[in-house]
Amino acid sequence: MKIRRKYLFYTLAFASAIIAAGVATIDAVISSFYIPNALVFSFSCFLVGTIISLLIILIFSIPINGKSLGSKIIDPSFKRLRLVRKEELKYHIPAGIGNAILTIGYLSLLSILGDPSTVLPFSQIVILYLVLIESITEKNIPTLSEIQSSVIVMFGAMLGSISLTGFINLESLAIVFLVINPAWVLFSIYQRKLKTMKIDRRPNDALNIRFWNVVFACLFTAIVVFIYDFIMDTGHFLGGITASIEHFEWVALTMGITFFSYVFYIRALGIGKASVTQAVRASTILFAIPFSLVLSYFNVIPPFSTDPVMILIKMIGTILVILGIVSFALTLIKAYVFISVKPGYPIEETMQKLWKIGGVTRVTVTAGYYDFIVKIRTRTLVKGYEKIIRKLEEIEAIKEYKWESVLKEWENI
Amino acid sequence: MINAYILTVVRPGQTEKAIKEMRKLENIEKISVVAGEYDIVIRVRVKSLGNLLKVTDKIQLIEGVKKTTTQVIEKELTL
Repeated sequence: MKIRRKYLFYTLAFASAIIAAGVATIDAVISSFYIPNALVFSFSCFLVGTIISLLIILIFSIPINGKSLGSKIIDPSFKRLRLVRKEELKYHIPAGIGNAILTIGYLSLLSILGDPSTVLPFSQIVILYLVLIESITEKNIPTLSEIQSSVIVMFGAMLGSISLTGFINLESLAIVFLVINPAWVLFSIYQRKLKTMKIDRRPNDALNIRFWNVVFACLFTAIVVFIYDFIMDTGHFLGGITASIEHFEWVALTMGITFFSYVFYIRALGIGKASVTQAVRASTILFAIPFSLVLSYFNVIPPFSTDPVMILIKMIGTILVILGIVSFALTLIKAYVFISVKPGYPIEETMQKLWKIGGVTRVTVTAGYYDFIVKIRTRTLVKGYEKIIRKLEEIEAIKEYKWESVLKEWENI
Repeated sequence: MINAYILTVVRPGQTEKAIKEMRKLENIEKISVVAGEYDIVIRVRVKSLGNLLKVTDKIQLIEGVKKTTTQVIEKELTL
């Protein structure tokens, strides 16, 4: 089935956001009734998560008519469960550390605040970190519209995170800014690097990335918990193992659903920029509200205040998040540039020069009428001219080029 | 595997119909409608040059397709 690339991206990111809101609700129930300690819960999550993820990926490895089940319904790049490649290790290690710290931080926050609709929005501020890091790592300086959208999403998320009871906790803010968000940046950037890698000349698949991320995160969480126990003389390590056995069904449920949330997120990351994916995923705060109402109804969290001012603030926050997402979505221009080169210039050298131009996302050497086909992604045509065309014209080897703006795009999913 | 771009020129007024037909074809990874000298850029992934010929043939047989230019990918750098 071929659907528009943009729709595929938003479908994946929104699906991930809805599932994340559901998972946060289950986490809130587990944290309130079964495993209140964040360290014990985190370790238990990854222990059970490794088993569940292994089972899921084994099921998706079953071949049907020459193709694996996973490649048919989840990710076309997936073949079967495989071992981590040496070249992936340098990305899996920081992504695993990021996930381990992020989960410990998130579950600590959940144990302090209880209500998922107030916990989730805080972490959306990570988008600002991502825009900044992308501008450094992806040779893509953020445009004014990107900065505006990020700021809108940030303020929206902050307002949306206010509890309807009016409660604000400084300890939770410190956890968000110093623990969760930096860890999320690490996790997100390196997962994207893994997804954009080629394994056996095929795009890397989201299922193997997720499985191995859980394995690495389990290892790092075990180390953190073990060191904490050693210093503080506590028993969280054993507590985590015991909780995994005693509450296996609950933790397996949350980790099983989380697996799909992240698989969709990783696939979306492979299509869009990390900051845009994060902006769309910020919609999780909207989806968390009905889940929180259910929790409140069943007395898992305190009943909501009906103070109209608090409700208005929360509504303004959610509207701002939506506005920020929409403005992100509407300001992306893509183009192909077909290039012919003069004889006597080495192709490899010209390829590297083209690759260094900001906004270039793909450089292809081709046999045929043109020597290069370059794919461009830019926020505005003015930026396209100033940052790309001018640079192209500076390359001596280029004989002629043709700019073809992409109007609409479909992709095989 | 062989990857290639097929640059297509379509007769005026036939683009929507041609895209509809192209979306039904196997081995097509991406279809981009573009503004410029060409109308549609198609990215294909096939097992052999023989299969590439078959895909090109099928595209050329689509009503409205006026001209195709095939560019076989030799090397690629991507984000």
